[in-house]
Amino acid sequence: MNDGAYAVVNGECPTCALVRPLLGSLPVAVVDEDTPAGLETSYSLGVDTVPTLVRFADGAEVERLVGWDRAAWSAFFGVSGLGPDLPEWRPGCGSRVVDPAVADELAVRFGGGVLRSRRVELASLEDEAEAMFSRGWTDGLPVVPPTEARVLRMLAGTRRAPGEVVAVVPPDLAECTVEKVAVNAVLAGCKPEYLPVVLACVEAACTSEFNAHGLLATTYFSGPVVVVNGPVAARIGMNSGVNALGQGNRANATIGRALQLVIRNVGGGRPGGVDRATLGNPGKYTFCFAEDEAGSPWEPLSVWRGAADGVSAVTLFAGEGPRGIVDQLSRTPESLARSFAGALRSVAHPKLVFAFDAMLVVSPEHARVFRDAGWSRERLLEELRTLLLLDGAELVRGAGGVAEGVPEAFGGAQLPKFRDDGLLLVHAGGGAGMFSAIIGGWVNGEAGSQPVTREVGE
Amino acid sequence: MSPVAVVLDPTSERSPAARERVARPSSLAGLTVGLLDISKPRGDVFLDRLSVLLTARGVGSVVRYAKPTFTKPAPVDLRHEIAVKCDVVIEALAD
Amino acid sequence: MHDIVDLEGRGVPGVFVASTEFVDAADAQARALGFPEVAAVFVPHPIQDRTDDELAALADNAVEAILAALLP
Repeated sequence: MNDGAYAVVNGECPTCALVRPLLGSLPVAVVDEDTPAGLETSYSLGVDTVPTLVRFADGAEVERLVGWDRAAWSAFFGVSGLGPDLPEWRPGCGSRVVDPAVADELAVRFGGGVLRSRRVELASLEDEAEAMFSRGWTDGLPVVPPTEARVLRMLAGTRRAPGEVVAVVPPDLAECTVEKVAVNAVLAGCKPEYLPVVLACVEAACTSEFNAHGLLATTYFSGPVVVVNGPVAARIGMNSGVNALGQGNRANATIGRALQLVIRNVGGGRPGGVDRATLGNPGKYTFCFAEDEAGSPWEPLSVWRGAADGVSAVTLFAGEGPRGIVDQLSRTPESLARSFAGALRSVAHPKLVFAFDAMLVVSPEHARVFRDAGWSRERLLEELRTLLLLDGAELVRGAGGVAEGVPEAFGGAQLPKFRDDGLLLVHAGGGAGMFSAIIGGWVNGEAGSQPVTREVGE
Repeated sequence: MSPVAVVLDPTSERSPAARERVARPSSLAGLTVGLLDISKPRGDVFLDRLSVLLTARGVGSVVRYAKPTFTKPAPVDLRHEIAVKCDVVIEALAD
Repeated sequence: MHDIVDLEGRGVPGVFVASTEFVDAADAQARALGFPEVAAVFVPHPIQDRTDDELAALADNAVEAILAALLP
């Protein structure tokens, strides 16, 4: 804006009508919202009330007044006793810019220039829901058409610039911007406040440690499982309680889904193409939940993994579908730990060790047993390590009449079921039910996937 | 709420935005060609000749179908049958 | 046209044959269905009052274009 004074008005506001006669004789440029140029100026000045007086000096805004007030206007213009036959003051009215009926359209018209994604015109006879399916943009379930207005609203959920590159997404190794994540977050059904979490998920998934490419291309069951820690979970209404691993919560459902849609749409990874999973698992639609930190006997998973306490973070784990563990009778931690160990022994195969990680979701009723006995996370892990140190003789190929197993050479050794740090404990679930769950992992190590924890930014 | 007209592309944009024809076979030798008559008068005569010409050119086989009426899309069962039985399809004759 | 668009969606290469009267309408239809590149071959109008021999001649003259539309 050039230096000088401006008065933003529109034709519908009675206060504007009141002050209009004054404006003609004052050193002020009238910005009329009822003209296209005036509306755009009003939008760029962020005017939510008319009349608004704005003064620019040396290229910057130095003064702003809202509504009519004789004293304030007189001071603004450096004259005394402006508008003697007007009342002392009058409040203004909502500007055209903030009118809800047109806000979206204006955002697109004046703000849409930041959007760099290719515009796709739907044909006149195309149903917008069918159009999403026919272009291959969905996971098999309907998605929300990503209009410019929706994507702009989604982008308001982050401070990051739309053009910022978030990650390079396998398998196509395509650069993915904040904007592209936002488009897929719209498809998934996310709210704008979920976007920072989705961004953290995409960043974590595309690290070489997580190895999203390998995870996608394997014939194994696994897909990305997301655990959310920190204040963001409650702020966006995530579920860490009843049915935590199931359906019904919008944030849980759509955050996990948005990650999968980015992998599909931006990365180009889809079943039958690079995704060759023999069976897969339903978690590949979405698998995202929050840890119940308040009720947990232990520190948050993210903290155990090295993130700072009180900081929001996501942990990505290459997991299959959950399997249930029933134990309705154990009153001691030793007994319950044995139940867990018995179930954990069969992750992937009872005779295979070390190569697979696992996540153990401990429900509140089970966690209570450990809390009452004062067992820390490390104490429980130590117990499980001891219980899951297995006799190589039972594990070798051919042992027990089962061809699968570890190579002969390991027959004389004691072998741990899991590598150190290979068992991730998470606390979640409803308050009733003596059930916990195992989420088995994919192959760990260089060729496989490591869990990755990433802070959620803004 | 006005109908959706423009959306943003969620992909990496490495493929064309416009819909492309499905991949073609390298030759029709040995393939099954479906001839779908839209059932306007005289179209059958046109298709009769086309059938002779295609057979002479060495296509595997020619199968004739007809819609109940040219005024509506073909019934879904008919479209499914064509998709299952035919390798390519020719629909005629609109005027 | 709708049928060919649908069948292409089912993985069957297809071509639509119409008289030249239909050129503009076919283009509009194809665009409205979101498939402007759909394969179409046009034969000279009129159709209804042609003799069998004349219709056979239309087919003889159209077969090359029809085959071209079904091959790469």
